[in-house]
Amino acid sequence: MIDEYTRLLEATAEIEDKAVSDAAVTKLIMHLKSAGRMKMLPQIARELKKVAARRHALRPTVEVAHRKESEAALRAAAHEGIVAAHASVNPALIHGWRAKSGDRLVDRSAKRALLTIYQKVTV
Amino acid sequence: MQSIIERIEKEIAAWAPEAGSEETGVVRATGDGIAEIDGLSKSAMSEMVLFDATFDRTLADALKDPNPIYGLILNLEEDGVRVVILGDASKIYEGMLVRRLGRLLSIPVGDSLVGRVVNPLGEAVDGKGPTNATTIRPIEREAYGVIDRAPVNVPLHTGVKAIDAMIPIGRGQRELIIGDRGTGKTSIAIDTIINQKHEPEKTRPICIYVAIGQKESKTAKLVAELEARGAMAYTIVVTAPASAPAALQYLAPFAGATIGEHFMEQGKDALVIYDDLSKQAVAYRQMSLLLRRPPGREAYPGDIFYLHSRLLERAAKLSKEKGGGSLTALPIIETQEGDVSAYIPTNVISITDGQIYLEAALFNKGQRPAINVGISVSRVGSSAQTKAMKKVSGKIKLELAQFRELEAFMQFSSDLDAETKKRIDAGRRMTEILNQGRGVPLSFEVEAAVIFAATNGYFDSVAPEKVSAIEVQLQEYLSREAGGVLMAIKESKEIREETEKTLREKLDAFVARHLSA
Repeated sequence: MIDEYTRLLEATAEIEDKAVSDAAVTKLIMHLKSAGRMKMLPQIARELKKVAARRHALRPTVEVAHRKESEAALRAAAHEGIVAAHASVNPALIHGWRAKSGDRLVDRSAKRALLTIYQKVTV
Repeated sequence: MQSIIERIEKEIAAWAPEAGSEETGVVRATGDGIAEIDGLSKSAMSEMVLFDATFDRTLADALKDPNPIYGLILNLEEDGVRVVILGDASKIYEGMLVRRLGRLLSIPVGDSLVGRVVNPLGEAVDGKGPTNATTIRPIEREAYGVIDRAPVNVPLHTGVKAIDAMIPIGRGQRELIIGDRGTGKTSIAIDTIINQKHEPEKTRPICIYVAIGQKESKTAKLVAELEARGAMAYTIVVTAPASAPAALQYLAPFAGATIGEHFMEQGKDALVIYDDLSKQAVAYRQMSLLLRRPPGREAYPGDIFYLHSRLLERAAKLSKEKGGGSLTALPIIETQEGDVSAYIPTNVISITDGQIYLEAALFNKGQRPAINVGISVSRVGSSAQTKAMKKVSGKIKLELAQFRELEAFMQFSSDLDAETKKRIDAGRRMTEILNQGRGVPLSFEVEAAVIFAATNGYFDSVAPEKVSAIEVQLQEYLSREAGGVLMAIKESKEIREETEKTLREKLDAFVARHLSA
């Protein structure tokens, strides 16, 4: 039951209009009250937090080694089907970029290349 | 140094960025050797994943700990997957990147594994460096079908008189060894491995001993014993000790079967010993409960029967068209207080082609091996028994059963007629003949000659309590004075008329020399 309520709320979260999602929450609370299931509300909130965390972890991200590579990296990532608003800087990449969205990862960084070579040489 | 530089330069020159994207997931939660992962939506059951600790580290930090940790997907769920961690679970953390490897769990196999001790992932754990095995085989596969199989008709001698005479095992058979703890189950398995030394090198099976959930000290002792007896030259030990994660204990028998199949498919014979499947079942139960699969009888999951049946069904004798190789399986099951009607014992009894039941009471009485002949059986082995062994051991099982009945009757009646007393003495002598210490497996021709002597009355004048000592003398005498006879039995695998005549002459001479006084 909790899963079902959570899934319904999750679906309304897709709608950008805040008024619509607020109305959905109000309706859900009224329904829970009338059905005597208000006890479920904290659990529903907890489940929604989990869903939000999952979405955050799987959101599109682009990382670059140096700020100057940002534009080219965003373009290249978009070409691979990963569209992000901006790129964050991660010097650990050494050179190049990597992009992640959902369960897709595109890694064009020098760090990955060096690790691959290291693994091939040492095996 | 120059070669290292050249190798690195070659790799750099050959490197090209990988086109396309990879499928990844993120660890949502982890605990008790299980990880819940978000993503990996296209992954398949039993697929391998890599927990990538290098993803959010600098290159320098990543190189400090280059050992990869793998996982095995066992639950596919709506919004993610559940994975068992095949390594140090304490290194897995929330938010860690997980890469899909796109292949089913596979291990390296090959001839270079012979003589080595490996873990269920095929990695060497004996400190002798990498195994250099290059062929990769999936750990789970469908067993051979009816068309690809041939009847079991070649014997696998254990070197244990009682087994080879009464419960013979054939190559490609699955024979269960079952009994309480400390009743000599592992000893039979080890004696069987040691005994393969008596086989000609061409037909000698490669032995794979799979230690599941055992103390590492016990496995180390066992490996040392096999090494000391020269048996490691044709043996591979797969170990998933008690300290290993449940996932590795669950996988160990499958790894053993996979290694054995490699040799079977080359037309060779292989013998795999699973010591023991009770512990594997317990490890699988632990994993299943942590994966939140519904518990059934004794809290085992519903597919526990399938776990063992699909493993043991991989034992086979292949047809000539498939190369004629074989994989014999000797699974071991530990019972509690002799209860063979518990869940796992009954399951495995019904899957296998017979069982050797070891009884604690017989063990405590001094009988070695403590086999209860009454409920031990080999369903297909008799057709694999050699003519020689069939000829000499034909009536032993029946006579021993009659003896046990009379022995029980004797407890109530002290006044016995001469015929009954004679039968009881014959039974006692036969029990003594079949008594055999640990670590002294006999070659098949010696077994046949000794049992021939026992069943043809050559020990009749010996008091039952002195039979063991006389038997040792007979074995020495035979190898010293009757080498030709033994060789004839070994080569022809039967006792022909002329061989029997010579053997009788030799035995008469032995009786005259050692027993007439």
